[in-house]
Amino acid sequence: MAVKALQAVSQGRNGVGAFILQCKRIDLHYCDWAGSSRGMNGFIKSLLPKFAAAHPQIEFTVSPRPAKHPVAIGHYINGRSKPICVRNMEPYEILKKLELLRDASGEKLKKVTKPVRSINESVRGIWSPYHGNGMPL
Amino acid sequence: MMKRLRIERATGQLLAAHPSTTSTPGAALRSSHRASQVPVRHQSSSAVEAKSHTPLYEEDGTDHSRFPPLEKLPPNTSALPSPLPSRALQSAKLAALHARLSLSPKIPLQTLARTLVDASADPNPQFNNSSLAFLGSTIINYHASEWFMVHYPRLPMDVFYAAMTGLAGPAPLHRIAKSWGIESAAVPGGEVDPGLLQFSLEHPGESVLGFGYTRTVVGKINKNNWQRSVASKVIYDDDFGQAVPPPSQQPKEENNPAEEEESEEFSESVPLPKFSPTSYGSEQTRELSEKAHANFVRAVVGAMYAHCGREAAKSFVKAHVLSRHLDLERLFAFKHPTLELAMLCAREEFDPPVARLLSETGRLSRTPVFVVGIYSGNDKLGEGAGATLEQARLKAAMHALKAWYLYSPGERARVPSDMLGDEDEGGAEKKKSWEPVYVDIGELISR
Repeated sequence: MAVKALQAVSQGRNGVGAFILQCKRIDLHYCDWAGSSRGMNGFIKSLLPKFAAAHPQIEFTVSPRPAKHPVAIGHYINGRSKPICVRNMEPYEILKKLELLRDASGEKLKKVTKPVRSINESVRGIWSPYHGNGMPL
Repeated sequence: MMKRLRIERATGQLLAAHPSTTSTPGAALRSSHRASQVPVRHQSSSAVEAKSHTPLYEEDGTDHSRFPPLEKLPPNTSALPSPLPSRALQSAKLAALHARLSLSPKIPLQTLARTLVDASADPNPQFNNSSLAFLGSTIINYHASEWFMVHYPRLPMDVFYAAMTGLAGPAPLHRIAKSWGIESAAVPGGEVDPGLLQFSLEHPGESVLGFGYTRTVVGKINKNNWQRSVASKVIYDDDFGQAVPPPSQQPKEENNPAEEEESEEFSESVPLPKFSPTSYGSEQTRELSEKAHANFVRAVVGAMYAHCGREAAKSFVKAHVLSRHLDLERLFAFKHPTLELAMLCAREEFDPPVARLLSETGRLSRTPVFVVGIYSGNDKLGEGAGATLEQARLKAAMHALKAWYLYSPGERARVPSDMLGDEDEGGAEKKKSWEPVYVDIGELISR
Protein backbone atom coordinates (compact mmCIF):
# COMPACT_ATOMS: atom_id res chain seq x y z
CA MET A 1 0.00 0.00 0.00
CA ALA A 2 2.58 2.53 1.08
CA VAL A 3 5.19 3.77 -1.32
CA LYS A 4 8.06 1.33 -1.72
CA ALA A 5 11.65 2.20 -2.54
CA LEU A 6 13.82 0.98 -5.36
CA GLN A 7 17.58 0.89 -5.07
CA ALA A 8 19.97 2.97 -7.18
CA VAL A 9 23.60 3.99 -6.95
CA SER A 10 24.75 7.55 -7.43
CA GLN A 11 26.72 8.40 -10.55
CA GLY A 12 29.99 10.28 -10.39
CA ARG A 13 30.57 13.42 -12.39
CA ASN A 14 34.26 14.21 -12.46
CA GLY A 15 34.75 17.94 -12.13
CA VAL A 16 31.45 18.56 -10.34
CA GLY A 17 32.57 18.95 -6.76
CA ALA A 18 36.06 17.57 -7.17
CA PHE A 19 38.30 16.91 -10.13
CA ILE A 20 40.49 13.82 -10.28
CA LEU A 21 43.20 13.70 -12.93
CA GLN A 22 42.60 10.51 -14.87
CA CYS A 23 46.26 9.75 -15.60
CA LYS A 24 47.62 8.02 -12.52
CA ARG A 25 50.98 6.68 -13.65
CA ILE A 26 53.47 7.26 -16.46
CA ASP A 27 56.17 4.68 -17.16
CA LEU A 28 59.24 5.85 -19.04
CA HIS A 29 61.51 3.26 -20.63
CA TYR A 30 64.90 4.07 -22.14
CA CYS A 31 67.99 2.34 -23.47
CA ASP A 32 71.50 3.42 -22.58
CA TRP A 33 73.05 2.20 -25.78
CA ALA A 34 70.67 2.69 -28.69
CA GLY A 35 70.61 5.94 -30.64
CA SER A 36 66.85 6.13 -30.75
CA SER A 37 66.89 6.76 -26.98
CA ARG A 38 69.18 9.79 -27.16
CA GLY A 39 66.29 12.24 -26.88
CA MET A 40 64.66 10.19 -24.13
CA ASN A 41 67.86 10.12 -22.10
CA GLY A 42 68.18 13.87 -22.46
CA PHE A 43 64.55 14.29 -21.46
CA ILE A 44 65.00 12.19 -18.34
CA LYS A 45 68.09 14.16 -17.36
CA SER A 46 66.91 17.68 -18.10
CA LEU A 47 63.12 17.99 -18.30
CA LEU A 48 61.63 15.13 -16.30
CA PRO A 49 62.46 16.43 -12.78
CA LYS A 50 60.59 19.63 -13.44
CA PHE A 51 57.66 17.90 -15.14
CA ALA A 52 57.34 15.36 -12.35
CA ALA A 53 57.49 18.06 -9.68
CA ALA A 54 54.72 19.95 -11.46
CA HIS A 55 52.49 16.86 -11.46
CA PRO A 56 52.58 15.29 -8.02
CA GLN A 57 49.34 13.41 -8.68
CA ILE A 58 51.04 11.25 -11.33
CA GLU A 59 53.37 8.47 -10.31
CA PHE A 60 56.47 8.36 -12.54
CA THR A 61 58.57 5.27 -12.99
CA VAL A 62 61.77 5.24 -15.03
CA SER A 63 63.31 1.94 -15.99
CA PRO A 64 65.77 0.71 -18.60
CA ARG A 65 64.66 -1.52 -21.44
CA PRO A 66 67.90 -2.49 -23.17
CA ALA A 67 67.98 -2.85 -26.95
CA LYS A 68 64.44 -1.52 -27.37
CA HIS A 69 63.02 1.76 -28.54
CA PRO A 70 62.15 4.24 -25.79
CA VAL A 71 58.49 4.32 -24.82
CA ALA A 72 56.24 6.35 -22.54
CA ILE A 73 53.19 4.52 -21.16
CA GLY A 74 50.34 6.30 -19.41
CA HIS A 75 48.13 4.33 -17.03
CA TYR A 76 44.63 5.58 -16.35
CA ILE A 77 42.04 5.29 -13.63
CA ASN A 78 39.65 3.40 -15.91
CA GLY A 79 42.22 0.62 -16.14
CA ARG A 80 43.41 1.30 -19.67
CA SER A 81 46.91 2.30 -20.68
CA LYS A 82 48.24 4.37 -23.54
CA PRO A 83 51.73 3.58 -24.84
CA ILE A 84 53.58 6.03 -27.08
CA CYS A 85 56.81 5.09 -28.79
CA VAL A 86 59.17 8.08 -28.61
CA ARG A 87 62.09 6.82 -30.72
CA ASN A 88 64.34 9.43 -32.29
CA MET A 89 62.37 12.26 -30.69
CA GLU A 90 63.89 15.39 -29.24
CA PRO A 91 63.35 16.08 -25.50
CA TYR A 92 60.78 18.79 -26.16
CA GLU A 93 58.84 16.52 -28.51
CA ILE A 94 58.74 13.92 -25.75
CA LEU A 95 57.51 16.61 -23.36
CA LYS A 96 54.61 17.23 -25.74
CA LYS A 97 53.83 13.52 -25.77
CA LEU A 98 53.86 13.42 -21.97
CA GLU A 99 51.47 16.35 -21.85
CA LEU A 100 49.22 14.40 -24.21
CA LEU A 101 49.35 11.41 -21.87
CA ARG A 102 48.63 13.64 -18.89
CA ASP A 103 45.59 15.25 -20.49
CA ALA A 104 44.08 12.05 -21.88
CA SER A 105 41.13 10.47 -20.14
CA GLY A 106 42.23 6.94 -20.92
CA GLU A 107 39.16 6.22 -22.99
CA LYS A 108 39.55 4.81 -26.47
CA LEU A 109 39.66 7.53 -29.08
CA LYS A 110 36.38 7.52 -30.93
CA LYS A 111 34.49 9.77 -33.18
CA VAL A 112 31.28 11.09 -31.65
CA THR A 113 28.63 10.79 -34.32
CA LYS A 114 25.57 10.30 -32.13
CA PRO A 115 23.99 13.04 -30.01
CA VAL A 116 25.53 13.23 -26.55
CA ARG A 117 23.21 12.17 -23.73
CA SER A 118 23.31 13.98 -20.44
CA ILE A 119 22.07 12.96 -17.00
CA ASN A 120 21.29 16.57 -16.20
CA GLU A 121 17.69 17.66 -16.46
CA SER A 122 16.76 19.93 -19.31
CA VAL A 123 16.49 23.52 -18.13
CA ARG A 124 13.69 24.30 -20.57
CA GLY A 125 11.67 21.16 -20.07
CA ILE A 126 10.62 18.74 -22.79
CA TRP A 127 8.45 20.06 -25.58
CA SER A 128 5.12 18.32 -25.86
CA PRO A 129 2.80 18.40 -28.88
CA TYR A 130 -0.26 18.07 -26.64
CA HIS A 131 0.28 21.22 -24.63
CA GLY A 132 0.15 24.94 -25.20
CA ASN A 133 -1.96 26.75 -27.71
CA GLY A 134 -0.04 25.52 -30.69
CA MET A 135 0.64 27.46 -33.82
CA PRO A 136 -2.42 28.39 -35.88
CA LEU A 137 -1.98 27.43 -39.49
CA MET B 1 31.50 29.55 27.12
CA MET B 2 32.74 26.06 26.65
CA LYS B 3 36.10 25.65 25.07
CA ARG B 4 36.03 23.58 21.97
CA LEU B 5 37.92 20.34 21.96
CA ARG B 6 41.04 20.64 19.81
CA ILE B 7 40.89 17.30 18.15
CA GLU B 8 43.88 17.88 15.89
CA ARG B 9 46.13 17.96 18.93
CA ALA B 10 45.14 14.43 19.71
CA THR B 11 46.20 13.03 16.36
CA GLY B 12 49.78 12.30 17.26
CA GLN B 13 48.72 8.78 18.01
CA LEU B 14 47.67 8.27 14.41
CA LEU B 15 51.22 8.89 13.31
CA ALA B 16 53.04 6.71 15.77
CA ALA B 17 50.82 4.09 17.20
CA HIS B 18 52.79 2.88 20.16
CA PRO B 19 51.57 -0.55 21.05
CA SER B 20 51.74 -0.36 24.82
CA THR B 21 50.76 -3.98 25.15
CA THR B 22 51.63 -6.53 22.54
CA SER B 23 48.08 -7.68 22.05
CA THR B 24 48.52 -9.54 18.78
CA PRO B 25 51.37 -11.42 17.19
CA GLY B 26 51.70 -8.61 14.66
CA ALA B 27 52.18 -6.05 17.37
CA ALA B 28 54.77 -8.25 19.00
CA LEU B 29 56.68 -8.50 15.75
CA ARG B 30 56.49 -4.78 15.24
CA SER B 31 57.79 -4.05 18.68
CA SER B 32 60.60 -6.51 18.16
CA HIS B 33 61.35 -4.76 14.91
CA ARG B 34 61.45 -1.39 16.59
CA ALA B 35 63.87 -2.81 19.08
CA SER B 36 66.06 -4.17 16.34
CA GLN B 37 66.30 -0.74 14.74
CA VAL B 38 67.92 0.68 17.86
CA PRO B 39 71.69 0.38 17.42
CA VAL B 40 72.09 -1.73 20.56
CA ARG B 41 73.08 -5.30 20.13
CA HIS B 42 70.66 -7.82 21.55
CA GLN B 43 72.80 -10.70 22.52
CA SER B 44 69.99 -12.51 24.26
CA SER B 45 67.83 -12.81 21.17
CA SER B 46 70.66 -13.87 18.97
CA ALA B 47 68.74 -16.67 17.31
CA VAL B 48 65.98 -14.36 16.20
CA GLU B 49 68.39 -11.66 15.15
CA ALA B 50 70.41 -14.03 13.06
CA LYS B 51 67.24 -15.15 11.37
CA SER B 52 66.03 -11.63 10.79
CA HIS B 53 69.27 -10.65 9.03
CA THR B 54 68.76 -13.16 6.28
CA PRO B 55 67.81 -11.21 3.17
CA LEU B 56 64.18 -11.13 2.18
CA TYR B 57 62.93 -12.98 -0.92
CA GLU B 58 65.82 -15.37 -0.82
CA GLU B 59 63.62 -18.41 -0.90
CA ASP B 60 62.30 -17.67 -4.40
CA GLY B 61 65.74 -18.28 -5.90
CA THR B 62 66.35 -14.74 -7.17
CA ASP B 63 69.95 -13.71 -7.68
CA HIS B 64 70.04 -10.54 -5.62
CA SER B 65 73.43 -9.39 -6.85
CA ARG B 66 72.06 -9.17 -10.39
CA PHE B 67 68.53 -8.06 -9.58
CA PRO B 68 68.62 -5.99 -6.42
CA PRO B 69 65.18 -5.40 -4.84
CA LEU B 70 63.64 -2.07 -5.75
CA GLU B 71 63.17 -1.10 -2.15
CA LYS B 72 65.42 -2.07 0.70
CA LEU B 73 63.04 -3.60 3.18
CA PRO B 74 63.74 -3.85 6.88
CA PRO B 75 64.26 -7.41 8.10
CA ASN B 76 61.25 -9.51 9.01
CA THR B 77 58.99 -7.22 6.98
CA SER B 78 57.15 -9.99 5.20
CA ALA B 79 56.07 -11.46 8.53
CA LEU B 80 54.13 -8.31 9.42
CA PRO B 81 50.43 -8.18 8.57
CA SER B 82 50.68 -4.66 7.13
CA PRO B 83 53.49 -2.34 5.99
CA LEU B 84 55.42 -0.40 8.60
CA PRO B 85 54.20 3.22 8.99
CA SER B 86 57.71 4.49 8.28
CA ARG B 87 57.62 3.00 4.77
CA ALA B 88 54.77 5.35 3.83
CA LEU B 89 57.27 8.13 3.18
CA GLN B 90 58.97 6.13 0.44
CA SER B 91 55.86 5.09 -1.48
CA ALA B 92 55.37 6.92 -4.77
CA LYS B 93 51.82 5.59 -5.10
CA LEU B 94 50.86 7.01 -1.74
CA ALA B 95 52.32 10.44 -2.49
CA ALA B 96 50.53 10.48 -5.84
CA LEU B 97 47.23 9.53 -4.17
CA HIS B 98 47.70 12.29 -1.59
CA ALA B 99 48.20 14.83 -4.38
CA ARG B 100 45.41 13.40 -6.55
CA LEU B 101 42.86 13.88 -3.79
CA SER B 102 44.25 17.38 -3.10
CA LEU B 103 44.57 16.48 0.55
CA SER B 104 45.87 19.04 2.96
CA PRO B 105 49.55 18.75 3.88
CA LYS B 106 48.32 18.48 7.45
CA ILE B 107 47.39 14.87 6.68
CA PRO B 108 50.65 12.94 6.87
CA LEU B 109 51.40 10.09 4.51
CA GLN B 110 51.54 7.67 7.43
CA THR B 111 47.88 8.33 8.20
CA LEU B 112 46.94 7.96 4.56
CA ALA B 113 48.80 4.64 4.53
CA ARG B 114 46.84 3.56 7.58
CA THR B 115 43.54 4.32 5.88
CA LEU B 116 44.50 1.76 3.23
CA VAL B 117 44.85 -1.12 5.70
CA ASP B 118 41.55 -2.88 6.17
CA ALA B 119 40.63 -4.68 9.37
CA SER B 120 40.70 -7.95 7.44
CA ALA B 121 44.36 -7.41 6.55
CA ASP B 122 45.61 -6.37 9.97
CA PRO B 123 43.44 -7.25 12.96
CA ASN B 124 45.29 -4.83 15.24
CA PRO B 125 43.12 -1.70 15.59
CA GLN B 126 46.22 0.37 16.22
CA PHE B 127 47.40 -0.26 12.68
CA ASN B 128 44.22 -0.78 10.63
CA ASN B 129 41.69 1.81 9.53
CA SER B 130 38.68 0.63 11.56
CA SER B 131 38.68 3.55 13.99
CA LEU B 132 39.14 6.14 11.24
CA ALA B 133 36.47 4.41 9.15
CA PHE B 134 34.01 4.51 12.02
CA LEU B 135 34.67 8.21 12.51
CA GLY B 136 34.36 8.84 8.77
CA SER B 137 31.14 6.85 8.42
CA THR B 138 29.44 8.93 11.11
CA ILE B 139 30.53 12.13 9.35
CA ILE B 140 29.47 10.99 5.87
CA ASN B 141 26.13 9.66 7.10
CA TYR B 142 25.47 12.81 9.11
CA HIS B 143 26.09 15.14 6.17
CA ALA B 144 24.15 12.97 3.72
CA SER B 145 21.14 12.61 5.99
CA GLU B 146 20.98 16.29 6.92
CA TRP B 147 21.25 17.15 3.23
CA PHE B 148 18.26 14.93 2.39
CA MET B 149 16.28 16.11 5.40
CA VAL B 150 16.65 19.77 4.46
CA HIS B 151 16.44 19.50 0.69
CA TYR B 152 13.69 16.89 0.48
CA PRO B 153 11.71 17.22 3.71
CA ARG B 154 8.79 15.11 2.49
CA LEU B 155 10.70 11.99 1.43
CA PRO B 156 9.01 8.84 2.75
CA MET B 157 11.27 7.00 5.16
CA ASP B 158 11.79 3.97 2.90
CA VAL B 159 12.81 6.21 0.02
CA PHE B 160 15.01 8.17 2.40
CA TYR B 161 16.84 4.99 3.36
CA ALA B 162 17.19 4.01 -0.30
CA ALA B 163 18.57 7.46 -1.08
CA MET B 164 21.03 7.22 1.81
CA THR B 165 22.18 3.81 0.57
CA GLY B 166 22.46 5.13 -2.97
CA LEU B 167 24.53 8.14 -1.96
CA ALA B 168 26.52 7.10 1.11
CA GLY B 169 26.21 3.30 1.30
CA PRO B 170 28.95 0.82 0.49
CA ALA B 171 28.21 0.61 -3.24
CA PRO B 172 28.65 4.33 -4.04
CA LEU B 173 31.67 4.59 -1.72
CA HIS B 174 33.21 1.64 -3.54
CA ARG B 175 32.72 3.49 -6.81
CA ILE B 176 34.26 6.61 -5.30
CA ALA B 177 37.34 4.65 -4.25
CA LYS B 178 37.57 3.20 -7.76
CA SER B 179 37.27 6.68 -9.26
CA TRP B 180 40.24 7.74 -7.15
CA GLY B 181 42.37 5.14 -8.88
CA ILE B 182 42.84 2.88 -5.86
CA GLU B 183 44.57 -0.40 -6.62
CA SER B 184 44.48 -3.29 -4.23
CA ALA B 185 47.21 -5.69 -3.25
CA ALA B 186 46.63 -9.30 -4.22
CA VAL B 187 47.38 -10.43 -0.69
CA PRO B 188 48.03 -8.13 2.27
CA GLY B 189 51.37 -8.25 3.98
CA GLY B 190 54.21 -6.23 5.38
CA GLU B 191 56.18 -6.18 2.16
CA VAL B 192 53.51 -4.73 -0.16
CA ASP B 193 53.56 -1.13 -1.28
CA PRO B 194 51.80 1.04 1.35
CA GLY B 195 49.99 2.83 -1.50
CA LEU B 196 47.88 -0.25 -2.28
CA LEU B 197 44.58 -1.05 -0.61
CA GLN B 198 45.07 -4.09 1.58
CA PHE B 199 42.29 -6.44 2.49
CA SER B 200 42.06 -10.15 2.89
CA LEU B 201 39.65 -12.42 1.08
CA GLU B 202 40.38 -15.28 3.45
CA HIS B 203 39.35 -13.96 6.84
CA PRO B 204 36.96 -11.03 6.91
CA GLY B 205 37.92 -8.65 9.66
CA GLU B 206 35.77 -7.19 12.35
CA SER B 207 35.17 -3.48 12.24
CA VAL B 208 32.28 -1.78 13.97
CA LEU B 209 30.84 0.64 11.46
CA GLY B 210 27.59 1.89 12.83
CA PHE B 211 25.34 2.41 15.75
CA GLY B 212 22.32 0.24 16.09
CA TYR B 213 20.59 -2.40 18.09
CA THR B 214 21.05 -6.01 17.10
CA ARG B 215 17.59 -7.50 16.97
CA THR B 216 17.13 -10.88 18.54
CA VAL B 217 15.55 -12.24 15.36
CA VAL B 218 18.11 -10.71 13.00
CA GLY B 219 18.98 -14.11 11.55
CA LYS B 220 15.40 -14.80 10.60
CA ILE B 221 14.94 -11.30 9.25
CA ASN B 222 17.84 -11.77 6.86
CA LYS B 223 17.01 -15.38 6.01
CA ASN B 224 13.26 -15.20 5.49
CA ASN B 225 13.11 -11.57 4.41
CA TRP B 226 10.76 -10.68 7.23
CA GLN B 227 9.06 -7.33 7.04
CA ARG B 228 10.02 -4.69 9.56
CA SER B 229 7.94 -1.65 10.26
CA VAL B 230 9.38 1.71 9.30
CA ALA B 231 9.13 2.89 12.89
CA SER B 232 11.19 -0.05 14.13
CA LYS B 233 13.76 0.60 11.39
CA VAL B 234 14.14 4.15 12.67
CA ILE B 235 14.60 2.99 16.24
CA TYR B 236 16.65 -0.18 15.91
CA ASP B 237 18.45 -0.30 12.60
CA ASP B 238 21.48 1.45 11.17
CA ASP B 239 21.67 4.62 9.07
CA PHE B 240 20.58 2.76 5.94
CA GLY B 241 17.60 0.98 7.47
CA GLN B 242 19.42 -2.35 7.45
CA ALA B 243 19.21 -4.73 10.39
CA VAL B 244 22.45 -4.60 12.36
CA PRO B 245 24.23 -7.95 12.03
CA PRO B 246 25.19 -9.66 15.26
CA PRO B 247 28.83 -9.43 16.32
CA SER B 248 30.72 -12.49 15.20
CA GLN B 249 30.22 -15.44 17.46
CA GLN B 250 33.86 -16.46 17.59
CA PRO B 251 35.57 -15.30 20.79
CA LYS B 252 38.40 -12.84 20.44
CA GLU B 253 41.84 -14.37 20.26
CA GLU B 254 43.31 -14.45 23.70
CA ASN B 255 47.00 -13.85 23.53
CA ASN B 256 48.99 -14.82 26.52
CA PRO B 257 52.17 -12.80 26.78
CA ALA B 258 53.99 -15.99 27.71
CA GLU B 259 53.01 -17.59 24.41
CA GLU B 260 54.23 -14.67 22.40
CA GLU B 261 57.73 -15.79 21.85
CA GLU B 262 59.61 -13.82 19.28
CA SER B 263 60.39 -16.97 17.43
CA GLU B 264 56.70 -17.54 16.80
CA GLU B 265 55.92 -17.22 13.15
CA PHE B 266 53.01 -14.94 12.45
CA SER B 267 51.98 -17.03 9.50
CA GLU B 268 51.21 -19.92 11.82
CA SER B 269 48.32 -18.08 13.41
CA VAL B 270 46.69 -17.30 10.08
CA PRO B 271 43.84 -19.75 9.36
CA LEU B 272 43.87 -21.70 6.17
CA PRO B 273 42.22 -19.98 3.21
CA LYS B 274 38.59 -20.92 2.76
CA PHE B 275 38.45 -20.15 -0.94
CA SER B 276 40.67 -21.26 -3.72
CA PRO B 277 42.18 -18.49 -5.88
CA THR B 278 39.73 -19.46 -8.60
CA SER B 279 36.87 -18.17 -6.49
CA TYR B 280 37.99 -14.58 -7.08
CA GLY B 281 35.05 -12.65 -8.40
CA SER B 282 32.46 -14.64 -6.54
CA GLU B 283 29.69 -12.74 -4.86
CA GLN B 284 31.32 -13.10 -1.46
CA THR B 285 34.71 -11.78 -2.57
CA ARG B 286 33.06 -8.94 -4.41
CA GLU B 287 31.23 -8.02 -1.24
CA LEU B 288 34.45 -8.10 0.78
CA SER B 289 36.18 -5.94 -1.81
CA GLU B 290 33.30 -3.47 -1.80
CA LYS B 291 33.40 -3.29 1.98
CA ALA B 292 37.14 -2.69 2.05
CA HIS B 293 36.95 0.05 -0.58
CA ALA B 294 34.05 1.74 1.22
CA ASN B 295 35.89 1.58 4.54
CA PHE B 296 38.91 3.19 2.90
CA VAL B 297 36.82 6.17 1.71
CA ARG B 298 35.29 6.48 5.17
CA ALA B 299 38.71 6.33 6.76
CA VAL B 300 40.00 9.12 4.51
CA VAL B 301 37.11 11.30 5.68
CA GLY B 302 37.88 10.31 9.27
CA ALA B 303 41.54 11.22 8.80
CA MET B 304 40.48 14.51 7.27
CA TYR B 305 38.37 15.25 10.33
CA ALA B 306 41.09 14.25 12.75
CA HIS B 307 43.86 16.29 11.11
CA CYS B 308 42.12 19.23 9.43
CA GLY B 309 38.91 19.69 11.38
CA ARG B 310 35.20 19.71 10.80
CA GLU B 311 34.94 22.22 7.98
CA ALA B 312 37.56 20.51 5.82
CA ALA B 313 35.89 17.13 6.33
CA LYS B 314 32.54 18.63 5.41
CA SER B 315 33.77 20.20 2.20
CA PHE B 316 35.51 16.95 1.30
CA VAL B 317 32.28 14.99 1.78
CA LYS B 318 30.41 17.60 -0.21
CA ALA B 319 32.90 17.51 -3.07
CA HIS B 320 33.26 13.74 -3.34
CA VAL B 321 30.05 12.18 -2.00
CA LEU B 322 27.18 14.65 -2.08
CA SER B 323 28.07 16.06 -5.49
CA ARG B 324 27.32 12.76 -7.19
CA HIS B 325 24.15 12.42 -9.22
CA LEU B 326 21.27 10.45 -7.76
CA ASP B 327 17.89 10.65 -9.46
CA LEU B 328 15.41 10.52 -6.59
CA GLU B 329 12.45 10.25 -8.95
CA ARG B 330 13.55 6.77 -9.87
CA LEU B 331 13.48 5.50 -6.30
CA PHE B 332 9.68 5.48 -5.97
CA ALA B 333 7.59 2.37 -6.57
CA PHE B 334 3.86 3.00 -6.18
CA LYS B 335 1.27 0.28 -5.85
CA HIS B 336 -2.01 2.20 -5.73
CA PRO B 337 -1.10 5.75 -6.71
CA THR B 338 -4.68 6.98 -7.20
CA LEU B 339 -5.74 5.71 -3.79
CA GLU B 340 -2.72 7.24 -2.15
CA LEU B 341 -3.36 10.56 -3.86
CA ALA B 342 -6.96 10.53 -2.68
CA MET B 343 -5.78 9.94 0.90
CA LEU B 344 -3.25 12.73 0.57
CA CYS B 345 -5.92 15.15 -0.61
CA ALA B 346 -8.20 14.08 2.24
CA ARG B 347 -5.45 14.63 4.80
CA GLU B 348 -4.46 18.01 3.42
CA GLU B 349 -8.11 19.02 3.12
CA PHE B 350 -7.88 19.56 -0.62
CA ASP B 351 -10.83 18.83 -2.86
CA PRO B 352 -10.87 15.15 -3.84
CA PRO B 353 -8.76 14.50 -6.94
CA VAL B 354 -10.53 14.20 -10.29
CA ALA B 355 -8.93 12.87 -13.47
CA ARG B 356 -9.77 14.79 -16.64
CA LEU B 357 -8.83 14.05 -20.20
CA LEU B 358 -6.82 17.00 -21.46
CA SER B 359 -6.12 15.91 -25.01
CA GLU B 360 -5.94 12.79 -27.08
CA THR B 361 -4.91 11.63 -30.48
CA GLY B 362 -5.49 8.51 -32.52
CA ARG B 363 -8.06 6.85 -30.25
CA LEU B 364 -8.92 4.30 -32.92
CA SER B 365 -5.38 3.93 -34.25
CA ARG B 366 -2.66 1.49 -33.25
CA THR B 367 -0.76 4.12 -31.25
CA PRO B 368 -3.20 6.30 -29.35
CA VAL B 369 -1.96 8.90 -26.86
CA PHE B 370 -4.10 10.24 -24.04
CA VAL B 371 -3.07 13.10 -21.82
CA VAL B 372 -4.80 13.02 -18.47
CA GLY B 373 -4.59 15.69 -15.79
CA ILE B 374 -5.49 15.22 -12.15
CA TYR B 375 -7.35 18.14 -10.65
CA SER B 376 -8.20 19.05 -7.13
CA GLY B 377 -10.83 21.74 -7.51
CA ASN B 378 -9.30 24.15 -9.99
CA ASP B 379 -5.68 23.18 -9.26
CA LYS B 380 -3.94 20.76 -11.54
CA LEU B 381 -1.86 18.43 -9.36
CA GLY B 382 -0.20 16.46 -12.11
CA GLU B 383 -0.56 15.07 -15.56
CA GLY B 384 0.61 12.10 -17.53
CA ALA B 385 0.47 10.71 -21.05
CA GLY B 386 -0.16 7.09 -21.83
CA ALA B 387 -1.41 4.70 -24.48
CA THR B 388 -4.58 3.89 -22.54
CA LEU B 389 -6.79 6.06 -20.40
CA GLU B 390 -6.02 3.96 -17.31
CA GLN B 391 -2.28 4.15 -17.85
CA ALA B 392 -2.40 7.89 -18.38
CA ARG B 393 -4.45 8.34 -15.21
CA LEU B 394 -2.03 6.27 -13.12
CA LYS B 395 0.93 8.17 -14.52
CA ALA B 396 -0.75 11.44 -13.74
CA ALA B 397 -1.38 10.29 -10.16
CA MET B 398 2.24 9.20 -9.79
CA HIS B 399 3.48 12.53 -11.07
CA ALA B 400 1.22 14.33 -8.62
CA LEU B 401 2.51 12.21 -5.73
CA LYS B 402 6.13 12.71 -6.77
CA ALA B 403 5.55 16.43 -6.98
CA TRP B 404 4.37 16.27 -3.38
CA TYR B 405 7.07 13.95 -2.03
CA LEU B 406 9.95 15.64 -3.86
CA TYR B 407 9.12 19.13 -2.69
CA SER B 408 12.38 20.98 -2.16
CA PRO B 409 12.97 24.41 -0.66
CA GLY B 410 15.71 24.91 -3.25
CA GLU B 411 19.35 24.16 -3.80
CA ARG B 412 20.47 27.00 -1.59
CA ALA B 413 18.63 25.94 1.54
CA ARG B 414 21.11 25.76 4.36
CA VAL B 415 21.73 22.72 6.48
CA PRO B 416 22.22 22.89 10.25
CA SER B 417 25.95 22.19 10.03
CA ASP B 418 26.38 25.41 8.04
CA MET B 419 25.83 27.19 11.34
CA LEU B 420 28.75 25.45 13.03
CA GLY B 421 31.45 27.68 11.50
CA ASP B 422 34.11 29.13 13.72
CA GLU B 423 33.43 32.54 15.18
CA ASP B 424 36.52 34.06 13.60
CA GLU B 425 35.41 32.97 10.13
CA GLY B 426 32.25 35.02 10.18
CA GLY B 427 30.24 32.24 11.77
CA ALA B 428 28.56 34.65 14.17
CA GLU B 429 26.80 36.55 11.44
CA LYS B 430 25.84 33.27 9.80
CA LYS B 431 24.22 32.25 13.06
CA LYS B 432 22.16 35.41 13.16
CA SER B 433 20.51 34.74 9.83
CA TRP B 434 19.49 31.15 10.48
CA GLU B 435 15.93 30.35 9.58
CA PRO B 436 14.27 27.13 10.70
CA VAL B 437 14.02 24.56 7.95
CA TYR B 438 10.74 23.10 6.78
CA VAL B 439 9.77 19.97 8.66
CA ASP B 440 6.97 17.88 7.22
CA ILE B 441 4.22 16.48 9.40
CA GLY B 442 5.03 12.97 8.32
CA GLU B 443 4.30 10.22 5.94
CA LEU B 444 0.97 9.68 4.33
CA ILE B 445 0.61 5.99 4.96
CA SER B 446 3.11 4.18 7.04
CA ARG B 447 3.33 0.57 7.82
